[in-house]
Formats: sequence, C-alpha cells, structure tokens
Amino acid sequence: MKKDLQLITLVFLISIGVQAQYNTMPMPEALYGTTFNLNIHESTKQLVTGNQTITGAINNESIWGPTLFINKGDLVHMNVTNNLNESTTVHWHGMHLPSVMDGGPHQVIPAGTLWQPYWTVMNQATTLWYHPHLHETTQAQMTKGLGGFIIVKDPQEAALALPRTYGVDDIVLALTSRSYTPTTNTFVSSTRVYGDYMLSNGTPNAQISLPKQCVRMRILNAEIERAYNLGFSDNRTFYIIGNDGGLLNAPVAVTRVKLLVGERIEIMVNLGGDTVGSSLDLKAYNSGQTLGFPGGEPNTSGDFGSLLNNIDFNVLHINVAATTTATTPITSVPTALATNTYWTATDATVTRSIAVTNGNPGPASVPFNFDNVTYSLNMTPKVVNLNDVEKWTVTNNNVFGHSFHLHDVEFKIVARNGSASAVGTHESGWKDTFYLPRNESVTFVAKFDDFADSDVNHPYMYHCHFGGHEDGGMMGQFIVTGTMATNQNPTNTNFSLYPNPANDRLFVNLKDTATEIYYVTISTITGRVVMMLPQPEWQNGIDISSLEAGVYTFQMMDKQSKSVTTKKFIKK
Amino acid sequence: MKKLIFFLSFVALILFSSYTVYEKEITISNIKLKSATTNSLVSLSDYKNAKGFVIVFSCNKCPMAKFYSQRLNQMNAKYKKLGVPVLAINSMDTLAYAEESFKLMQKKAKKEQFSFPYLQDKKQKIAKEFNATHTPQAFVIWKNKLGNFTIRYQGAIDDNAGEPEKIKHHFLTDAIDELLEGKNVTIPKSESFGCRIFFRGQPQKMN
Repeated sequence: MKKDLQLITLVFLISIGVQAQYNTMPMPEALYGTTFNLNIHESTKQLVTGNQTITGAINNESIWGPTLFINKGDLVHMNVTNNLNESTTVHWHGMHLPSVMDGGPHQVIPAGTLWQPYWTVMNQATTLWYHPHLHETTQAQMTKGLGGFIIVKDPQEAALALPRTYGVDDIVLALTSRSYTPTTNTFVSSTRVYGDYMLSNGTPNAQISLPKQCVRMRILNAEIERAYNLGFSDNRTFYIIGNDGGLLNAPVAVTRVKLLVGERIEIMVNLGGDTVGSSLDLKAYNSGQTLGFPGGEPNTSGDFGSLLNNIDFNVLHINVAATTTATTPITSVPTALATNTYWTATDATVTRSIAVTNGNPGPASVPFNFDNVTYSLNMTPKVVNLNDVEKWTVTNNNVFGHSFHLHDVEFKIVARNGSASAVGTHESGWKDTFYLPRNESVTFVAKFDDFADSDVNHPYMYHCHFGGHEDGGMMGQFIVTGTMATNQNPTNTNFSLYPNPANDRLFVNLKDTATEIYYVTISTITGRVVMMLPQPEWQNGIDISSLEAGVYTFQMMDKQSKSVTTKKFIKK
Repeated sequence: MKKLIFFLSFVALILFSSYTVYEKEITISNIKLKSATTNSLVSLSDYKNAKGFVIVFSCNKCPMAKFYSQRLNQMNAKYKKLGVPVLAINSMDTLAYAEESFKLMQKKAKKEQFSFPYLQDKKQKIAKEFNATHTPQAFVIWKNKLGNFTIRYQGAIDDNAGEPEKIKHHFLTDAIDELLEGKNVTIPKSESFGCRIFFRGQPQKMN
C-alpha cells in the first residue's frame, strides 16, 4: 500500500513536471455569418517571463485573429477597422475575389479607418487565411502576429465523413517562431528572419488534448521565412486531405510533409489506436535538409541564425483524450474526397516565365527580385486576358529557396524542373503557394476567370511570401482585362448627395445613370480618411451611422474612367 | 574586404561612443498645456516648490500605456508631497488618430480617476523637445543650480507592465528616490517601448 502511494505520488509529480512545461493552445474565436467585424489593434501577451510582449491582434484575441467560417455562395461583408497606430492592409490569401477587394499593397487602410470590402464566396471548401500586406511593412506587421484563418464550407465537403467540430476534432494550427528583445520582451523584427522560440497559435510550448479518434488539423505556415518538415514523433502515417485550394481527390498517406511560408495543408491523423492519457508530438524534422531549405542554416545567431535552425523541434504536444460522445467520432479516413478536374499543361494558351534574380550577398547587392525588377507600387503590371488558361514557369537558379504565392486564383502545379512526375503527391491539389527550392523550376497552370477589372490602381500580386523578401521587392503585379466592349463616350461623373445634412444613410444621385461607382472614400474635412468603400452597394444608401457629426468629403471614383469627383456633406 | 568592415565598425564604434559621451544635456523650457483632468491650462511654473517632475508620455489606446494608470496615481500620491508631481502628456497626432481626441482624454482621466494632469500636446512640440518616441515613456526632469529643469532619467517606468507584483527594476521611482537624496541617478536611461509616437508630416515606418 505504501509502495503504491509512493508510486502514485511519483507518477503525479512526474505528470505535473511534464504538464508544467506545456501551455494549452487555445483555438482562435470562431466567427460565423455573412458580416464580419474585424478590429485590428495592438495588444499584449505574456509569452516569456517579465514584460508582456507587444502583439498585433484582431478582436478579442491577444495575438492573431478570429477564425472566420464562411459558406461557398454566400455574399460576405467585411467591416475592417484599423485601430493600429499605423497604416495596414488585409489580404484574403487564396480567396478568389475582385482585385479591389483583395487587400494587396494598394489597399492601404490608414489608422482609424473603416474598410468595407465584400464579395460572393466562390472558393470551394478549404482553409484560407488573412494577413497584412502593406508594402515594406509586411514583415513587421506579420511579426507582431496579425492574421487569422478563414474556413470555407460547401455542401460537397459537408457530405463527407470528416471531422469538423472546431476545436474538438478539427483544429487550426498557425506555425511561427519568434525571438525576444532582452528586458522589453518585444518581438525581434527586421534584423532576424528566424525566431528562436516556437509559437503555435501564438502559444509557446503548446499542448492540446485531442480525442481518441480521427482528427483533422488545418496547418498554416505563418512564418516570416522558416519552412517546416512536419511529422509525428512516432513516425506514424497521416493523411493529407487538402491543399491550399481545397480537398484533394483522394487522401495522400505520408509520414513527413514540407510546409513553406503561406502554404496550408489539411491533414487527418488517426488517434483511435492510442491510449487515453498517452501523448505524442507533432514535430518539425528540420535537421539535415538540403541547402536552401529555409531554416536549415547551421548558425544559431546572427541575421539568418536561430536556436531552431537545422534541428528537430516540437511544434505541438498532443495529449490523447477520451473519444467524443457529443459528436459522432470519425474512425477512418475516407478513400475518396472530391472530384476536382485540374488544368493540364496542354490547356494553356499563354506561357510566361519568371526568374528569381539578385539577392546574392556582396557589397553591391540588390535584394531578391523577379526578372531583375525590384517591385514598386506603380510598376507596369502583367496583363492577363479574362478566361485565359496560362502556364507560368518560375525558375530559381539562385542561392536560396523561396515560397511563391499568386493572388486571385488557385492553380495546379504541373511540373518541377520540367518533369510532371517530380510534382509531389502532397501538392497534387489546388495550390496558391508553393516551395520553390534552389536550382529548381516550378510550372503551374491557372485559369484567370470571373474578375476583369483592368484596374491598374488595384492590381493582383505574385510574390515570394517571405516577409523580408516581399518587402525587399520580390514581387510583381498583374491585372485581368475583359474583352467586353467598353463605352468609349466619357460619362458625366457629376453627382449629388442627399439628404444633406444626412443622419444615418447617405444617398447618391448620379447625373448620368450609366456611371458605375467603383470606389468611395469618405474623409473628415481635415483630411483624415474614415471610410473606404470599394464598389459600394450604394443604391439603398450608404450607412454613415458610425461617423461623428461634422463636415465630410465624399470622393467618388467611376469605374470607366477611374476619375475622381468630390462632394461635401454634413453628418448630423 | 574583411579588414574594411573591421575598420568601418571600429569607426562606427568611436562615433557612437563619442556620441553617448558628449550627449548634450537637454534643458526643458516651461511646459504649458491644457489638462484633460481639470480642463484647464497647466504649466511647470504653477508648481512653485517643485524640485522636479515626472513626465510620462502616454495616450488613450496603447495597450502598454493602459497598464500604468494606477501606478501613476500611486506615484503622484507619494511624490507630489515631496515636490515631484506627475504630469502625463498625450502627444499623439489627433488628425491621424480619432481615439486620441481631447474629449476622449477627458473620458479616460475621469474613468481612471487620474490624480495628475493629463495634458494634450496637440502640436507635438513637447514630445519633440524630449525626443519622446513611445508611449508609455517616462522622464524625470530636475531643477539644477541655475533653476532650469534638465532631463535626469528617461525610459521605461519599470520592467513589468502587466504584472506589477513581479517587477524587478523600478527604474522611474529609483531615479526619483536617488535625486531626492541628492545622488546621481544610477540608471539614467532604459529602453522605452510600447506604441510609437508618429509625428505629423514624417513618414510612418514600424520599428
């Protein structure tokens, strides 16, 4: 009996000891519906002992932002308020939407301003994310922890026997690493690209309890540069069920998978054979990678050094808990998931080549860019014809690996180094971001459908998703143009506003009813922008109830000429 | 090449160290600003018997500044009697940030029962005079033999914003205590951090 007690005490103490080194990883708050209010602000979080770390957060989170659940086919409205001290943008990564809603570097939301993009969800069920994309400031704002998941639902996905109880058997996992400035504990940004300490959903030394059954993990690499070679500590097989753009046709069984910055994978892992109370780790097996793997550098300090470089480290400690009773547990991985019809190389009518250039170390060094052109907001965009199927080959005969991301559409990777068979089975679905290793080319095929705004003011982007690389100019832009006949007669863009003074709704009376309102910007009389309304739904009046009483200017950009006409109004 | 880098860093080191050695003592002219606590003008010369002042650059919405309201009240209660009153100054650009309006400063001063003046530096002149960069950022100015106020401490208030019970270094109050005892300040400068003060007309750039 005494021995038993001792043993129990010992087990208890050990379990406390083991527990104590982990922090329970929270799920970001889930938001549902068709209207989402996102309040972007600075916050603080206790991440290391001593001072709280200053973070970027959205709504009620202390770092990162809520998870937005949206349905395919729904018209969703975003009320994005920038309560930071500085400008930002919000890009809906992977979302197929008009460029003026895309939140790229041209959609600057000044401090204190409300931005109201909206769109009809055309993506199929998948895991997307949103994050800042302000040129030259992306790394700093991403480092602070700004961003969030978007989970798209659709009937095809809903009909499958997949885990989908958020936070129970279906979790989101955003991977980042950070370093801290001594004493102040602020995140180190700009000087070092790899963090020394792992943060999983913003939690250091993260653990989670998952039920003894099949669970689904939606994993995002939200890093600045580090790549992850993910696997479980017992080398068990797990199943990739989705890529960036949605479910694969069939699950792909793996024991390791690489995930570059900006990429997402949905995996299923079977915990049904595990003992309740046992644990396993999801780890990054990052040691011994080939040259150019981001985070494979040997150094532990300096610009490209980190305590996590070139080692295997824990990403998430998983404690196996009892099988769920409130929801039916999923006990097996479905054999078939979706019926995607992918583009093939032969579908393409236009081919383009992009080369990674510069970035070599040396005194005359220009940061990495594409085709020897450093990105600028007003650089000439590539012009894509609406509904064209294009084949792009991105070639990296350069010194280091990259993560390439294309806005607007999901694409199919058709070749690596010209070989179709070299495309990984783990990246066989719809993609918007991919690993571009050193000395390799990647060819993808995309159809640029639906949105032809010919909008040079708000182009779509393609870029390296490493924060420092895109800030440094490793980015280009493109517009999609339609072939529809445009009215060449200049329209009269004059208009009036009523009632004036107005209370809660402001109505626009166009002199020429053929005018299409493309963008409305409302500013205070002193020039502070308070509302940015891309393609506003103005016919039933514009909601100005959030404005304080005063005199405002109302700038209207018309769709055809992109010229701006300004009127004043009074808010009562 | 290596030699050149070594030489350049050596030059940089000399320049930097000479800068710190010969850093000019900053004399603060009379501050006269409107207080949101009392809705009246407050100036340094109102405090005839002041030996010095605790000047804290703060603002309405910064999460780091928010932690310190109670601690500033406590400091004012203790040190005002000893001739070192607390003055909080909001130098945020009200054109850029609607939340930093005087009206909302008044609301905050009332809600958090500020015992000290909460001054609006609308033209951002005082922040520039102090070279203030963040909120919260504390300064101790002290009357010298000529009767002028000079900066004797600048930086953080302490080393733990969120958990006051775990503070190891009370930078600000340690500096005041030393000055009250006629000593030099042991740690005259610490790193201030929090929310950046952006000056109107200067381009924004994080960190």
